[in-house]
Amino acid sequence: MMNGGYCGKILRVDLSSREINVEMLTEDAIRPYIGASGYAVKLLWDELDGDVDPLSENNKIVFATGPIAGTLVPSGGSYALCYRSPLTGAWCESRAGGSFGPRLKYAGFDFLVIEGKSETPVYLWIHDEQVEIKDASLIWGKGIEYSTTFIQNEIDELDSSIALIGQGGENQVLYAAVVNDRGRVAARGGGGALMGSKNLKAVAVSGKGSLQVAHPDHFMKAVTLAEEYLGRYPFEGINQFGTPLLIGIQNAAGGLPTRNFTYGQFESADDIGGERLTKENLIKRRACYGCSMGCGRYTVVEQGKYQTIPQEGPEYETLAALGSLCENGNLESLLKANYLCNDYGLDTISVGVAIAFAIECYENGLLNDFELEGRELSWGDADLILELIEDISMQRGFGKILSQGVRRAAELIGQNADDFALHVKGMEVPMHEPRGESKIMALQYAVNPRGACHMHPNWAAIWDSGQFECGMNALGQPWPPTDKMLELNAKKGLAYKYVAMQGEISEIIGACVFHSWGADDECITPQLYATLLSALTGWDVTDQELFEAAERSWNMKRCFNIRAGLTRKDDLIPKRLKDPIRRGPSDGESVQNIDGMIDEYFDAIGWDKETGIPKEDTLKRLGLSNVWEVLMESAVQNR
Amino acid sequence: MPKTLVIFPDKCTGCHRCELWCAMNKEGLINPAKARLKVLRREPSIDVAAICLQCGICINACLYGALSRDKKTGAVVVDDERCIGCGKCVMACPYGMITVDASVRKAKKCDLCGGNPVCVQHCPENALQYLDVEKAAAIKRERYAKSLVSELKGGSASNLNLEKLK
Repeated sequence: MMNGGYCGKILRVDLSSREINVEMLTEDAIRPYIGASGYAVKLLWDELDGDVDPLSENNKIVFATGPIAGTLVPSGGSYALCYRSPLTGAWCESRAGGSFGPRLKYAGFDFLVIEGKSETPVYLWIHDEQVEIKDASLIWGKGIEYSTTFIQNEIDELDSSIALIGQGGENQVLYAAVVNDRGRVAARGGGGALMGSKNLKAVAVSGKGSLQVAHPDHFMKAVTLAEEYLGRYPFEGINQFGTPLLIGIQNAAGGLPTRNFTYGQFESADDIGGERLTKENLIKRRACYGCSMGCGRYTVVEQGKYQTIPQEGPEYETLAALGSLCENGNLESLLKANYLCNDYGLDTISVGVAIAFAIECYENGLLNDFELEGRELSWGDADLILELIEDISMQRGFGKILSQGVRRAAELIGQNADDFALHVKGMEVPMHEPRGESKIMALQYAVNPRGACHMHPNWAAIWDSGQFECGMNALGQPWPPTDKMLELNAKKGLAYKYVAMQGEISEIIGACVFHSWGADDECITPQLYATLLSALTGWDVTDQELFEAAERSWNMKRCFNIRAGLTRKDDLIPKRLKDPIRRGPSDGESVQNIDGMIDEYFDAIGWDKETGIPKEDTLKRLGLSNVWEVLMESAVQNR
Repeated sequence: MPKTLVIFPDKCTGCHRCELWCAMNKEGLINPAKARLKVLRREPSIDVAAICLQCGICINACLYGALSRDKKTGAVVVDDERCIGCGKCVMACPYGMITVDASVRKAKKCDLCGGNPVCVQHCPENALQYLDVEKAAAIKRERYAKSLVSELKGGSASNLNLEKLK
């Protein structure tokens, strides 16, 4: 029995046998990993085979919350979907806000583990510690909006959260997303395809249960302090304009990915940015559960050919991936594209990168042998983008090739298609330009466990480019940092280690990363998280303990990938990022020394430079000797 | 001058922090289901806090004299000594803003935190405000006028060309 924050229960559903089990979670088990993706990686390390086929019934999906999810800590609306990714074959965690995480806890569970495969389409209805496996055949083949409304009516509970897949997940598009609360998305890495492979349409949660607080007075005081700090949050525009504000910021810095990462500036950037979106399409701002920031957009296109119903989004990543990256400057079409991706259940980043890839392949004459149904693939064609989104979701024509992600698509197309495929480990590159934003981003893309990733954690470039302090002063890192365009001998390896560990604290505690960008009196720092967690759980948690747990989790994710067969050779960046970028203040910049940066980082984090495997003493120090032994055994077997 | 709780649905982002704080303050735990106000997100596009209006209909419904008006704040408050959790008040309340907590068999409702509502203190958007009644009344009149405009806009009997007023 735990004192506070946690429910202390794991719900396990085997869709093959329809068995439902509840396991107790003890302090001994959870505390070394804190929770969320940190505990999920431990669980999947223990329970999966290294070579498990991601889309087989042997793979598992974990819906993971952290101790602060559902509490008054202002960043605690998140949950993480964790699994071996069908897109990359590597570790994947996809985080989403909304109310799913909190409501899963109010229903009585910290973690939901899905195993096996159902014979027919089903959905789960989890409410107040009750679990029902319900028929989903009437909504199989339907989109997110329709299915959400259908389930809400059937369970007769509007104060619920439903995480589900659309046609993208059903058809096992390898970057299909899981959408909750209609418009919050666990997008990256193909969790939707995994649910589709299990015939699991949706998970609906609702509950009236309580979470205990060990020291209520201390907790309320610490939460009030967090609210005060966030009131001085450095990234002011994020409330007013949401993440779309970044369009203008990145464009000014020459870091707005344009024309499949050829340019760093887009001439129509103002047309698709946060100011215009706010003026023309914003109905209101929306917050995830418990968030005092409220960066969510609630928007509509009222009439015309790109008309939408009111919807959540779009975010910066979507506006850039389907906008500047494809040279599409039509904002209304981007709202429509956002709606389609959210309704079919697709990751907008991967969709945008896949479409830009297709256009560039076409431009270079690589698609002459492919059936394109008479289409000409050209830059800036908004209607083409909308058509391809549908084709990808429904696996129609050329869309079927794009639905496999750009790595596989480039293999299928052959010739030099790989030159146009922007991915790391099979994960499409998100909308942060290492040659414009900061070179540290290239390092992050190369070594992040889920491939090219801007989110887990996402502060490296923000610190390195001098935008926000990110608590790095307290960790002995210089402020302002050295030149963002330097690669070697600029302490980037060490800096990335610190930033990554600090970000990993957010991940394992179950927080949204947006709350931790600033200095110590303008955001929630590791010290304040430690205070909050101590008051909540009754444990005596220090920031040192959080850093160590973060390092443990980070190393486990690396080991998960090593066991899955990935090596240092997979820590790379796509060719295009090594070529000079054009336009704007970063014109001519390229990434020259990615291997050198990786070496510096491995030295800092204690991983072997030849193999990329965490060193024995690194794992030993973190209490992971048994993990080291498993890695050595599998290494012997592979030899 | 007495004060009253006023909601501003146009400012509400649906973050539920008022519910979380209410339950924390009143029950010492985390459970929005035990909050004395409720945030409803209804698609499309509504986020709104449902609050007790302190109208007092429940006072007369109670057979045990457990509900009375607090002289200082004007809030209707529950006397736990007298309340037996029968639920007559729940039936009488037209707004659904009084409930019986089955675990303790007592009626639970908003008591304005004795004149310093915790939900107001912690609303990040000022979507809940505790205002002098005169100020609140002025806001209500303003809303009435605005609602009338949109009603007339859609009405057929109007001789106003409201499109021209834009």
